[in-house]
Amino acid sequence: MIRRLPALALVAFAGIYLWLALAIPLDPWSANEAINARTLPFVYGVALLIVAAALLFHGGDAASDGEQAPSGADRTAGDWQRWLKLAAQCAIIAAFGFAIPIVGPWLALAALLLASLWAAGERRLPVLLLLPVATAVAAWLLIAVLLDVYVDPGSLFSKALR
Amino acid sequence: MWEGILTGLATAFDPGNLAWVAAGCLAGTLIGMMPGLGPITAIALMIPVSYSLEPAAGLIMMAGVYYGAVFGGSTSSILINAPGVASTVATSFEGYPMARRGQAGRALALAAYASFAGGTFGAVALLLFASALAGLATKFQSPEYTLVLVFALSSIAAFAERGQVLRSLATALIGLMLGTVGTDQSAGVQRFTFGSLELTDGLSFVLVAMATFALAEAFRMVVAREDATPTANVAHARLHPGDAKAVAPAVGRSSVFGFLIGVLPGAGATLASFFAFDLQKRFKRDDQADSARGIAAPEAANNAACSGSFVPLLTLGIPGSGTTAVLLGVMLSYGVQPGPHLLDTEPAMFWGVIVSMYIGNLVLLALNLPLIPYIARLVYLRRTVLVPLVIAFSLLGVYLTSLSSFDIHLMLAFALAGFALRLSGFPLAPLLLGFILSGMLEENLRRTLLLVDSWAFLLDRPLSMALLALCVLIWLTPLRRWYKARQR
Repeated sequence: MIRRLPALALVAFAGIYLWLALAIPLDPWSANEAINARTLPFVYGVALLIVAAALLFHGGDAASDGEQAPSGADRTAGDWQRWLKLAAQCAIIAAFGFAIPIVGPWLALAALLLASLWAAGERRLPVLLLLPVATAVAAWLLIAVLLDVYVDPGSLFSKALR
Repeated sequence: MWEGILTGLATAFDPGNLAWVAAGCLAGTLIGMMPGLGPITAIALMIPVSYSLEPAAGLIMMAGVYYGAVFGGSTSSILINAPGVASTVATSFEGYPMARRGQAGRALALAAYASFAGGTFGAVALLLFASALAGLATKFQSPEYTLVLVFALSSIAAFAERGQVLRSLATALIGLMLGTVGTDQSAGVQRFTFGSLELTDGLSFVLVAMATFALAEAFRMVVAREDATPTANVAHARLHPGDAKAVAPAVGRSSVFGFLIGVLPGAGATLASFFAFDLQKRFKRDDQADSARGIAAPEAANNAACSGSFVPLLTLGIPGSGTTAVLLGVMLSYGVQPGPHLLDTEPAMFWGVIVSMYIGNLVLLALNLPLIPYIARLVYLRRTVLVPLVIAFSLLGVYLTSLSSFDIHLMLAFALAGFALRLSGFPLAPLLLGFILSGMLEENLRRTLLLVDSWAFLLDRPLSMALLALCVLIWLTPLRRWYKARQR
């Protein structure tokens, strides 16, 4: 059953996509056209539904037709700590997204790198301190100074500058 | 024509222009190496610099930036599996595994030499056949484009790994679906935007590519067991004995093919590199040089296609790719109108740019080969450092292209979905190809049906019929494979 999960997820995805595709609003003129805003999404949705059903029928298992095992699955470790690390990285990325409008991309980048290095298991102090700062400064020099691209410094610094 | 070539040589060998082409190549390589920043971004970022130059010098520098960025993109594809541009995705298929096997220097050297060969072929072909090839490009109209795109998508199934046909089709379809997000260009209707303003322009290529390749790869590294450290010495960035002989036919084939695809407006280096990679798989010999050929073929094709894409730009004023569209803008801002008359009105610039492409390739090779050992050390970074760096650069690349923090969260969602697909054994490259071709397919199909008003366009024109026959042939390939397997 677990092997069929990806195929089942695809069936669900195709179903939802198809439902949303049929809800695309059309004006009376384009509704009668040979191809309108709904046509290709509908075709893609139906096609994915068929392919996903075929995968389900196949057992959703690559090995069923003589294929090698999925490349990623065999290499992932079973211990929960690695998955915890992944969850931590995701949380850091999400926090980076929230931090950018407030502190700007350069400070957020340095903080992201520091947190991400720590979460990845890096404990060497010089690396933890120097790499984030050096990367953020290099990126700022290249983008903002050398190429003269304007990047919003973030609401915190915008207020301070005013 | 020879008089023009001599004029071009004089323009290109002007010391000032030589310096600008070298500067362009260096800037392009450095910018292109950053995941998420491809040739379009590189050229766009260099526009302020080009404004301070004469038109010929400015365009010559931009051509250098273009080549440099394409090569820089290959470097990040090979070393960290983070193709910043679509045209280097195919390079990562064999390049990244080779780098992980400890042969990063060899992979980068292969890419450099193949790029040089492809670029040189492209520049010479452009020099000799520019005006004739423009005539060929005009024969391709919407019906033919539609069928070329259908052919490209069909090749996903035909050239899929053994037993991966359904999975490849599924991810290609997901890519096509993602390409439908945003405002429908024809009717102005919002599709799958859920009322979000950020989605009205659709998903950006950089976001989807970075999420499914760079970020998903970083996630895989987090949960995977530690790989054995690469053992080969990257200080010796040179080809293995026999590599040159083994890859030469693939490079020759891909250069010709890449250049011809590059000439077609809208097709460009991406299609060329995917086609070259797929074509290479057809010629697979199951020997040790297969991986080398898998890197050389797309690299030669994408560089040859870069030259090819200048044909419609210079002779018709039609951009052959997104990058040449930006270049068109640069030319127009100089007051230069590219088209059939450019050759008469600006011969020095026309031929100077073409000759500079060859010089740009030489500069690129001279610049990159000595740098390869230093660049290739990236793969020796500990995973505890590499993963955060890949995460940081890919996020920064996406943020700088949109300046929207919404894209960061969207990227995280796509990366998790891509990671799940990878864990389940789904190939992600078809997703990216489907995503890139989605808009082009819909646009051309619409235009075709608007012009012809029926599906008879498939059989109306000889060129369409030939392309349709090719599509049918390619559809039969997996069926034939399946039938053979059943017989066994």
